[in-house]
Amino acid sequence: MIEISNLFKQHGQQPLFNGLNLELEKGSVVAVIGPSGSGKSTLLRCINGLEYFQKGCISVDGQKLYGVNEQSYNKADEDCTVKKIRRRIGMVFQQFNLFPHMTVLNNITEAPVCVMGISRAEAEAVAISLLQKVHLEEKAQSYPAQLSGGEQQRVAIARALAMKPEAMLFDEPTSSLDPEMIEEVLLVVKDLVSEGMTTMIATHEMGFARDVSTHVIFLEKGNIVERGSPKKIFSNPKNKRTKMFLSRFMK
Amino acid sequence: MKHMNRKHFIIRTVSILQICFFMMYFFMTDTFAYQDTLEKIKSSGVLTWGFDADGGAPYVFHDPKHPSKLIGFEVDIVEAIARELGVKVQNFQNEWDSILLSLQRGDFDIALNGIEITSDREQSVLFTRPYFVYAEQIVVRDSDNRIHRLDDLHGKKVGTLYNTVAKRMLEEMGDVAVSTYSGQVEPFKDLSLNRIDAVLVDLPIAFYYAAPNPQLRMVGEPVGEGYYGIAVRKEETALAEELNIIIEKILRSGELKKIYERWGVWNTSQEKLFLHEGLLQKYTESPPSISEKVPLRVTTFLPTLLKGALVTVGISILSMMLAVVLGLILAIMRLYGNKWLQRVSTAYIEFYRGTPLLIQLYILYYGLPNIGITLSAFIAAILGLGMNYAAYESEIYRAGIQAIPKGQTEAALSLCMSGRLILRRIILPQAFRIAIPPMTNDFIALFKDSSLVSVIAMVELTKSYSMLAAASMNFFQLGIITALLYFGMSYPLSIYARRLERKLKSYD
Ligand SMILES: Nc1ncnc2c1ncn2[C@@H]1O[C@H](COP(=O)(O)OP(=O)(O)O)[C@@H](O)[C@H]1O
Ligand SMILES: [Mg+2]
Repeated sequence: MIEISNLFKQHGQQPLFNGLNLELEKGSVVAVIGPSGSGKSTLLRCINGLEYFQKGCISVDGQKLYGVNEQSYNKADEDCTVKKIRRRIGMVFQQFNLFPHMTVLNNITEAPVCVMGISRAEAEAVAISLLQKVHLEEKAQSYPAQLSGGEQQRVAIARALAMKPEAMLFDEPTSSLDPEMIEEVLLVVKDLVSEGMTTMIATHEMGFARDVSTHVIFLEKGNIVERGSPKKIFSNPKNKRTKMFLSRFMK
Repeated sequence: MKHMNRKHFIIRTVSILQICFFMMYFFMTDTFAYQDTLEKIKSSGVLTWGFDADGGAPYVFHDPKHPSKLIGFEVDIVEAIARELGVKVQNFQNEWDSILLSLQRGDFDIALNGIEITSDREQSVLFTRPYFVYAEQIVVRDSDNRIHRLDDLHGKKVGTLYNTVAKRMLEEMGDVAVSTYSGQVEPFKDLSLNRIDAVLVDLPIAFYYAAPNPQLRMVGEPVGEGYYGIAVRKEETALAEELNIIIEKILRSGELKKIYERWGVWNTSQEKLFLHEGLLQKYTESPPSISEKVPLRVTTFLPTLLKGALVTVGISILSMMLAVVLGLILAIMRLYGNKWLQRVSTAYIEFYRGTPLLIQLYILYYGLPNIGITLSAFIAAILGLGMNYAAYESEIYRAGIQAIPKGQTEAALSLCMSGRLILRRIILPQAFRIAIPPMTNDFIALFKDSSLVSVIAMVELTKSYSMLAAASMNFFQLGIITALLYFGMSYPLSIYARRLERKLKSYD
């Protein structure tokens, strides 16, 4: 469903990706692991058009985003493609990024009503059912500031799901949470995965990655150092950097 | 500091009191050490003269060729008086509106500046015998044949000056739309610009400004004769006596007539100055044709103040609305526009923040007619204030918008929202909340700045106050009431803003 080919990306003069390739099939669950600064966020953000890149191509079901230095690059087309891709792919951020001036319900209904043009009543019905799914139906009228971190992240997931995406990108969804709240968020992600949602998740929760993913990639300094099934990566990593990294997490 | 040494405290209090007394003594010696001002003038060799050169020609004004030099027929009179006293003149520039008040405070020895002798002013100061017979003159556009005498002014728009007999005459006519100005040039400007139908001012002014202007014409006989006198403090009978002798002398010698002829203000009415004995009787018994009634009771001045307050509120609200909308457009141009829009917005903001509001108002009202745009005073006031404050509001918005974390935009983008939608639904509502406290401050500041629009012939609260106060010499009570009116209007606003802020905060 998502195909990244020959991706080159640099932040200013600082090169990050040097010809990165990655393919995600429909229904697959890819866990992106690696140390801080290895490029996990940048990779996810490139897919969703929040970052431009220099070379290469990202294709989502045939919708192609090109690097700005590619011949096929065209600003107008790119803007159009980005919109189509964002309609198919939802994203959840480390910092939740809920809209603080709106109630939980309005956070969820905002995009469906304003972007998809769904009626408010219908959007609210969908929002309520999504809130039930993340076990927060009683918080519909609360403001984000009145929720705990874990609750906010679950609302953020519901908000992304309200756009009926075909795939979800999670950028370290539990990294800003207190330990006791991590589980409730991961459970929601697990539910999603079990429904067959195509998922790409950057995470430091190795246990979760091992249990839930279908593929794991280990990123370091913008390079995919190792990739494979979770079983292979977690129980028998080939690369010594992967080994070192995992040994710090799995004790 | 809770247990401040008691003795220490007392010593400190005593020394502060001593310093206060010393300072009071120091300032008071200057004014009150001499029993008699005449004595002081003679022994110091200096006569201090209070006037307002802003009033304009031909009384006292800055020589256009040598702007540092004051000229005018009253300058000549004061010089003649000083010569007779054997002293030098020291000038004291003072707002005309408060000239008698400053005289009473002891800022200068005499006030001589087209001050009409009225029974009501005589209650607070002492006048010499008259040195000039004034009358009010109607001026119209040369092309206008509707107006021939005072009665023709009914139902017309007529310009005049603040706190003048002419203004009261017009007001007593009942149905004249009176525009009042603080400078002498502006009413004639507005007359040529068709903003008003006629001007009624003291004859010397009409003579000086209208006679040489081919577009304007004086019509009818002068009306409402009265007298200018020199004002001294009430107790200065010796000084007044001396001044009377000097006036008599320069009148008899023909020097006064020469001065008036030189300035083109001599007319046969001035002959009446010779009848001084009878005249002095006459004007104290029955004041000049127009009676000046002092508004001292609340019922008389409150309606005027309230009317002024209404104008202030109207101007403030309308110009703030303009500032809010225009400021938002400027901020968006600067943050999201292309290079050119950014430059336009930046230039606008820098210009309006870097120049005084007063100049901006003058340009709008008196400058634009030169390129064919003639705005009414009300529109010019709202545009002037609104466009000025828009520059400040735009910077407040910009700060507010930039304070919104990038994550908000990214989350909205990931939900497929368009840039415009994000701005309208996500960024601006949050920026607005940040902007509310500084915006309220600005609105209260604008509220007070609205008093500046009196320079373009708008009579709002501050101007109503200064007019009433100057007429009644009651600066204190009227001042308190006016201040209370301002406060009564701005305080609910602060409360409302605070409440709104709290409400908006509830979701933080
Ligand atoms: N906006 C940016 N400007 C400059 N450098 C950036 C920017 N965003 C990320 N980087 C750099 O890119 C590298 C990868 O960052 P990131 O994708 O956030 O890594 P991760 O999510 O794995 O911690 C880091 O070295 C980081 O400093
Ligand atoms: Mg990251």
